[in-house]
Amino acid sequence: MLTLRRRSLGAGLALLLASAAAAAPSTGGPQTLAYVIANFNNAVYETQFMDECPEGPAIGNDEMWWRGLSRADKDKLTDNGLVQPVDRRFISVLRGPKGEDVCWNPTVVKEPPLRTVQGSVSYGFNLDGSNDDRATPKSCPHRNFVSERGAPGVDNQMYRLLGCHYGWRRNGVLDTFGNEERRNSGRGVILMEITNVTDPRNSPEVRVAFYRAADPFSIDATGRILPYASYRVDSNAGKPRYGAVARGRIVNGVLITEPIDAKLPFYANSAFAEIQLRDMRLEMDLTVSPEGKVQGLVGGYYDFDKWWEYMLKIEFLIATGDWSCPALYTAARELADGYPDPKTGECTAISSAFKIDALPAFAIHTTPVEARR
Amino acid sequence: MMPVRTRLGLACALLLGAALLTACSRSEPPTKGGPVTVRRLTEAQYRNVIADVFGPQIVVAGRFDPIVRTEGLLAVGASRASITPSGVERFAALARSIAQQVVAPGNRELLIPCRPAAPGAADDACATKFFQQAGRLLYRRAVTADDLAGPVRIARTAALARQDFHAGLAYGLQGMLTSPEFLFIAESAEPDPADKNLLRLDAYSRASRLSFMLWNTTPDAMLLDAAARGELADADGVAAQVDRLMASPRFTQGVRAFFTDMLSLDDFSTLEKDSLIYPAFGLAAAEDSREQVLRTLIDELIAREGDYRDIFTTRRTFMTVPLGMVYRVPATRPGGWAPFEFEEGDPRAGIQTQLSFVALHSHPGKSSPTLRGKAIRELLLCQKVPDPPGNVNFDRFNDPKSPNKTARLRLAAHATDPACAGCHKLMDPIGLALENFDGAGQIRLTENGERIDASGELNGFKFADARGLGQAMREDPAATSCVVRRAYTYAAGRPIEKGERDWMADLEQSFADDGYRLRPLLRRIALSKALQSIAKPKPELSAGGPT
Repeated sequence: MLTLRRRSLGAGLALLLASAAAAAPSTGGPQTLAYVIANFNNAVYETQFMDECPEGPAIGNDEMWWRGLSRADKDKLTDNGLVQPVDRRFISVLRGPKGEDVCWNPTVVKEPPLRTVQGSVSYGFNLDGSNDDRATPKSCPHRNFVSERGAPGVDNQMYRLLGCHYGWRRNGVLDTFGNEERRNSGRGVILMEITNVTDPRNSPEVRVAFYRAADPFSIDATGRILPYASYRVDSNAGKPRYGAVARGRIVNGVLITEPIDAKLPFYANSAFAEIQLRDMRLEMDLTVSPEGKVQGLVGGYYDFDKWWEYMLKIEFLIATGDWSCPALYTAARELADGYPDPKTGECTAISSAFKIDALPAFAIHTTPVEARR
Repeated sequence: MMPVRTRLGLACALLLGAALLTACSRSEPPTKGGPVTVRRLTEAQYRNVIADVFGPQIVVAGRFDPIVRTEGLLAVGASRASITPSGVERFAALARSIAQQVVAPGNRELLIPCRPAAPGAADDACATKFFQQAGRLLYRRAVTADDLAGPVRIARTAALARQDFHAGLAYGLQGMLTSPEFLFIAESAEPDPADKNLLRLDAYSRASRLSFMLWNTTPDAMLLDAAARGELADADGVAAQVDRLMASPRFTQGVRAFFTDMLSLDDFSTLEKDSLIYPAFGLAAAEDSREQVLRTLIDELIAREGDYRDIFTTRRTFMTVPLGMVYRVPATRPGGWAPFEFEEGDPRAGIQTQLSFVALHSHPGKSSPTLRGKAIRELLLCQKVPDPPGNVNFDRFNDPKSPNKTARLRLAAHATDPACAGCHKLMDPIGLALENFDGAGQIRLTENGERIDASGELNGFKFADARGLGQAMREDPAATSCVVRRAYTYAAGRPIEKGERDWMADLEQSFADDGYRLRPLLRRIALSKALQSIAKPKPELSAGGPT
């Protein structure tokens, strides 16, 4: 049986109340902090009047389908127009030449080009280390952004791809529902553990592990996720099922990790989807907000096939998310900017960034016997 | 006849090991006895009895009339409790529900010791057998023919009317469960052959006192058998039964019941916290914090057989995830309880720093040094703090525009009122030591941006913070005296009598001699002559006397 001690008032409270991190017990040496990710959103930089999308919002599947129908077909297929888009989504995706599902067969029809983000500012990281738009050994030619703080070379083609869809913008159905569903189901909960913290404000060398929690979120009566809950690390035979580890440092209370290739557990919109990121990095301000959260940014090259696999799993949301598979797929292939295939030269990953909200928590490592309980 | 005290000493010397000799060898100061009591079953006792007699599968779903805490204990209040008309209705509804479950298919095969000659007809012989068996445990004594006549008659009448033996049996059992013989633990006394000036509890009453003291439930068959054989009139027989009861896992249930009463943990049933201010302190945390202190006490005092005084300084406890979110510490066994120890130097030391104390004795949205100080005085030191005057004015304390940012400063302003100052001097210097815990018991260093000064004083012992308060309580003789007095009062179900002062002093000294360990204390009380001594009733006033 494991018995833990909590840190003393002097060090422990300074840690708990100043940085307000969840400090696992220690006997005076380096400390361990842990956080559970509550919200995981595509980092979409939005202006007040949607200036970044000068052509307007992306055209959704229903409109594409509608445009191709004769008046007689419209009457016939929609009960004289009374069937709402959300209810006709099942037939509206079957618009290939032979009635194929255009999500599973996105190249069988040709659609107008996707309306993509044309703005110059984005959240994200400089993943390829280059400030210009030319190809590098790990990237295809692409248009860089500048960060919201003016730093050049920001790679976030996923934003360019998705940023003009209402479904992915602030309060859009996809990330919002995804977060809510993850909160309520307790599936795909990402647990971060930072070890070797010598000082929660400045630590020169820490290690950050990304686990999947074996326990659901602890929530209060109103559905809010509560901080300082304990979560078991999901393990098999004593080995974490997920456990990517990055080196990093804490500078003035901000955690910055070095790039690693990582798989993150993920569940949203009734779909389990592993997020597979190459050159993944994290920047997270460890200062806890009055609401009890810390905020950060995760970035990396998202494996294209893994991403599209997720899109297929959430096809049932195509009407509420309002995207069209052929246009999206074609644009994604064109915008993919990471890790060119040595044979074809086509990039196999797309630069991405995600905003995260996390809460202080405790990561509990159990023995195989304890895990079975 | 050999005096009881001498026989007890001899029996102990012969039968018990060295560890228990200390508890037995001390001669017990004489007392003048107390009154017999008639105690209403508490809710916990009622539930325990039903589970013990009919099994834990019987659901006891209902509410109980509250019992007024008296002399610091519900156990004493129970001896002054009556049953209101609505309470009668509730007990009747409970009895109906329990009886129907007992005779229901699936349970009847286990709980009814015979099969009726015809299931659609009355069977007096089978009904009598059942009521004899159940009645002995429910009434805590041998059942008489009179006891059985009523239920058997009701069972017969109802069985004939319903053409169902088991339906009839349920009606008879319902009658037993609503009988005062069941709902009240009515003691009776008999002449004490060792002292012509005293009475003593009869055997069955003594069995009940021992069982409810040590198990918080009805005497089991072995204890009733011992009573029936007259063994409880004999010191050896009593010792054998007390040791059996204390060796049982149920002893833990009894100790938990005692501390639930002593620490007023029943107040958790009405505890409310503002979820906007304290989102982490939900229902689960409240339930777990009640359980946490009981687990801590059982671990320290029973499992480890530790020094009672250490409960005010111990850093050992148990943790769950809901508690961990309030304490902001890890719970190593999500979904269950795990041992936990706060680090040396942590302000959490002693049960008075656990949520069960600091959250329970606070307001829904803020801490209360006054409530906490009062609770320490009354619950842990057995010192009565006068109730506040009816016209007390809290305006100055509650003024949101007050320049006094901390409770210490606001209380200082409030206590300038001479009518308030006297009592606040008793409570505030203690309660302010716990101000590093907010109204939900979460640690804080500041209040309204002002650093909290948690220094204080207890009976001349000055301290800087909550840990210091724990040390002060550990060293305060009132704390050990308090648990001794509470334990005896709890066992007897009545306040301490004037004639028991020497006995109390002796009990306190023996508690100290035993290293302030709880088990020897409870054993000494259980075996004591004082617990079974009953004062002879005063002669009734003659007609024409004062009315």
